[in-house]
Amino acid sequence: MGIVILLLMLAGVGLMLARKLPTAFALVLLGVAIAAVSGAPLTGKDSIVDTVLQEGSVTLAATMLAVLIGSWLGKLMEETGIAGTLVRKIVEFGGDRPTVVALGVLAVSALIGTVTGSAPAAMMAGIIGIPAMIAVGVPKTTAAGTILMGIAAGMPFELPVWQFFSTALDLPVDTVRGFMLKLFPFAAAFAVLFVLVESRRRGVAHTWSLTSADERPSGGARRRSRARRLGDAPWYALLAPAVPLVLALGFELAIIPSMLAGVLYALATTTRPREMNKRLLRTLYAAFEVAAPPIALFVAIGILLAAVKLPGAVEALDPLVKAVSPANPFVFVLVFTVLAPLCLYRGPLNVYGLGAGIAGVLISAGIYPATAVLGLTASYNQVFGVADPTSTQTVWAAQYSGVSPQQVMVRTLPYVWCVALGGLCVTAATRL
Amino acid sequence: MTAAVTGPPSLRNGLSAARSGALRETCARLAEADDAEFGVRLLGNTPTHEARGPEELERWAEAATAFGTELAARAGPHGGAGRTGARVVERDGGLDALLLARYVSRPVPTVELYTDTLALGEELAGWLGWRTWFAAGALRGAALAHEEAHCLLHGDAALRRALRDRLGHSALRLGRLRIPGHVAGADELAAHAYAAARCGLGRTPLLLTAALASAVRALGED
Repeated sequence: MGIVILLLMLAGVGLMLARKLPTAFALVLLGVAIAAVSGAPLTGKDSIVDTVLQEGSVTLAATMLAVLIGSWLGKLMEETGIAGTLVRKIVEFGGDRPTVVALGVLAVSALIGTVTGSAPAAMMAGIIGIPAMIAVGVPKTTAAGTILMGIAAGMPFELPVWQFFSTALDLPVDTVRGFMLKLFPFAAAFAVLFVLVESRRRGVAHTWSLTSADERPSGGARRRSRARRLGDAPWYALLAPAVPLVLALGFELAIIPSMLAGVLYALATTTRPREMNKRLLRTLYAAFEVAAPPIALFVAIGILLAAVKLPGAVEALDPLVKAVSPANPFVFVLVFTVLAPLCLYRGPLNVYGLGAGIAGVLISAGIYPATAVLGLTASYNQVFGVADPTSTQTVWAAQYSGVSPQQVMVRTLPYVWCVALGGLCVTAATRL
Repeated sequence: MTAAVTGPPSLRNGLSAARSGALRETCARLAEADDAEFGVRLLGNTPTHEARGPEELERWAEAATAFGTELAARAGPHGGAGRTGARVVERDGGLDALLLARYVSRPVPTVELYTDTLALGEELAGWLGWRTWFAAGALRGAALAHEEAHCLLHGDAALRRALRDRLGHSALRLGRLRIPGHVAGADELAAHAYAAARCGLGRTPLLLTAALASAVRALGED
C-alpha cells in the first residue's frame, strides 16, 4: 500500500510539473486519493469527508488569517508610500555607490519579507527597488537576486511562516521562533555575501536605452500625480514593518495581534482621521485578492496533511520512509543537502506542495521529531523562496528586471544552498 | 527563383506610406521640443522621481547637462573609450533589447555598441533631414563618448561627488547638518551632455533616441 501512495505522490508531482493542474488542486486530489487507498471510510472518524476534507481544510486557518493580515499591512504600506519612501531614501543616501544601494534595498526587502512573503513582497520591494538599482548601475540579474535574497533573509521572521510551521508541524510558536533565530544568521550572512560577491564579480552596467526619453504614458502621469500628492511618508511611519516583529519577538505577543498592531501603526502615522475608515476597508479588500493564492494553497496543504496523518497512511508509509531516512546526523546533513534542489520546479520537497505531506509523514511515522522536521522544511523554504524558477516571486522579480527566472536560479542557488546547509547543520546538532 | 534577403529593418522599404508619414510627424513633433524637455523626461522616467515636481526635475536636468558639457571641455579633444582603457565590442540585438550601447565594468571595462541600432539611427537621421544636428557617423562617436562618461564617473569618486554637489539635492537636513542626496538618472543625463559636446552634436542625443524608439515601434507594427 505504501508503494501505491508513493506512486500517487509521484503522479501528483508530475501533474504539478507538467502544469496540468494548479498545485492547490493537485494537492487536494492527492489528499483524497491517499485517504481512499489507505482504506479511510467516507464519513465518521478518520474519514475522507469529515477528517480529510472538513477538518483538514481549516487546519491552517490561523496561518491563512496571518497571511491575510500580512497582505493587508503590505497593501497599506504600498498605498501610503511607506515602501516607496524606504527605497527612495536608500537611493538618495547611497546612490553613487551601487553596492551600498543594493545592500540598502536588500535590508528593505528583508524588512518587507518579515511582513508578507512571495510575489507581494517582491513587488513591494521591487517595483521601485529593481529599476532604482538598475538606474544606479546594478546589473539586472543581481538586482532581481538582491530582492529575492532580501525577502529570504526576512523570512525567518515572517510571522505567517511561524504560524504555518507551528500549526502544520504541531509545535509551539516559541519552538518555531527559537529555530528561526538560529536560521536567520545564515540567511542574512549569505544574502549580504550575495550582494558583495556579485557586485564585485559583475561590477556595474549602464545602458543607453531607447526608452529613456519616451514621453510619459498617461497612466504614469496619474501615478505620478498621486505620488506627488502623497509625497514621502514621514520617517516614523517607516518603522511600520518593524512593529509586528518587535511585538512578536521582543514582547512575545501572539502573532495575529502583533500584525494588527502593525496595520494600526501604519494607518495612524500616514492617514488623516477622516480618511482612516475608507483606507482601512479599501486596503483590506485589496489584501483579499493578494492573499487568495496562498490561502487556497494552505487549504490544500491542510487537506494533504490530514490525509497523510490518517492511521492507514501512517501504517503503510512507516516502513518505507524509515528505510530511506538517515538517522546519523552527518548522513542526515549530507543526504538532505544533496536533495535540496528537489524543492525546485514544484518538486517533491517543496514545502508549499508535496513537501508538506512528506513532512507530515516524517512526523506521524515518528521518524524524526517535529523539531527536526521544522529545521528541514524551514531550510528548504530558503532554497525554494529564492531560486525556484516556478515560484511567483522569482518569476516576477526576474521578468521585471528583464532576465529569465533560470538566470536568477543559477546566480542565487549556490548561496541559498549554503543557507540550507547551515540550517541542516543546526538541525542535526540540536534536534536529532 | 530568388533567395529571400534578410537584414536589419530599413525605413525605406520596411514602412507603409501611412506609417512612414505618421513617423515623420511624430519625429517632427519631437524636434519641436526643447532639449531641456528631454532631460526632464529622462529624469521623470527614472524610478524614485515619481513624487518630484517638474520645476525640481528641470533644475536637476539643467545642472546635470551643464556638468556633462563642462566635463567634455575638460577632457579635451583626445577622448574616446580607448582613453579610459575600456574595450570596445560591436554586436547586434540592440533593436530587440531597445539598446544603443552599454558599459560594463566587469570582467574588464567594456563598451558594447549595438550595430543594428546604430545603423537604424544613422539611416533615421538622414531620412528625417537631421544631418545638420547629427552628422554622418556621429552617432557611433556619441555612443562611445556617452559610455566613456560613465566610465569616467564610475572610476572617479571625486567626480561623482562633484556632480552630486552641483545638483544640490539634500537627502537629510537636521539644523545645520546637511547630507547631500543622490539624484538617480543625473549621471545618465550628464553622459548624454558629454557625448553631445564631445561630438559637436547640434541637438541632444536624447532627441535621436526618442525618434529611434518611435521608428522601432513603427517598424514593429508594420
